Amino acid sequence: MAELLFYVLSAGAIACAAGVIASRSPLRSVLSLLGSFVCLAGIYLLAGFHFLAAAQLLVYAGAIMVLFLFVVMLLNLDRVAAEDERPGSALGARRLGVAFVASSVLVLTGLFSIGWDSASHADPALAGMQLDDLTSIAALLFSRYMLPFEAASLLLLGTMIAVVVLAKRDRGPDRAGAVERDPYTLAPRDVGENLDPGGPEVVVLEDEPEEVHIV
Amino acid sequence: MNVPSEHLLVVATILFSMGVLGFLIRRNLIVVLASVELMLNAANLSFLAGSRMHSTVGNVNLDGPVFAMFVILVAAAEAAVGLALVIALFRLKQSVGAEDTCELRG
Repeated sequence: MAELLFYVLSAGAIACAAGVIASRSPLRSVLSLLGSFVCLAGIYLLAGFHFLAAAQLLVYAGAIMVLFLFVVMLLNLDRVAAEDERPGSALGARRLGVAFVASSVLVLTGLFSIGWDSASHADPALAGMQLDDLTSIAALLFSRYMLPFEAASLLLLGTMIAVVVLAKRDRGPDRAGAVERDPYTLAPRDVGENLDPGGPEVVVLEDEPEEVHIV
Repeated sequence: MNVPSEHLLVVATILFSMGVLGFLIRRNLIVVLASVELMLNAANLSFLAGSRMHSTVGNVNLDGPVFAMFVILVAAAEAAVGLALVIALFRLKQSVGAEDTCELRG
């Protein structure tokens, strides 16, 4: 039963991958990518990697897919894509041929380099048990993979800063409608009325203070 | 599931080469990024297949799942930066086609 489900899910993942690269509209190809991720999560679950299946669903099918769909819908790409894909050009045919040859060479090399005759089949006793125990993974992350773990946190920080810098709209000083602000108080600077510089008021005494007579 | 791990490797090979094919033939940058995600997923699947291949009941190999976690993390970072680049490019050119962005061609 589980074996049959594995082959069905594999066929689904491959069909959805074909949908990613073959469909004309970006929205449809992103949705096919979502289907491929879900099928792969099912395969992970069947192979015994329960935590990785959950992570795949949460991170890929949840976060990354939302990001893709958000960009596709924000930029209204289905309208733009119609004139972006021009399949009939002369360069297209040659590039298509090269790409097909490259990927079929890749498939054949991969299939031949899998060691079919080595008796490396999975232990039948492993069927149905969870392979990625979370406690052991956490212990491994904080001992042997400590340095990559910390490097990953730095990578995420750098990514966050880079995304904010890249996607931010430029606000130059000559932008129309921008309010010029005082650099210290951040109050809007009005040019007309308040010309005197800031700072404490200097009170100039004009008349002498009255003498105090003690009677 | 009592499927030999080689079948997982076959699925990973086919998925990876479909990702390469999409990366090479498509000109929409969003679809190119989706093909990269497909390739990363295929790499994940082969990591897990290798880990399953080298596990026994008493001694489970956990390097594959840990590497798969790192690959998921790098994929998330790559998708975020790539899509931010696509947004910046779209703001500049009103297009996400790879052939409209050829200023660096000699």
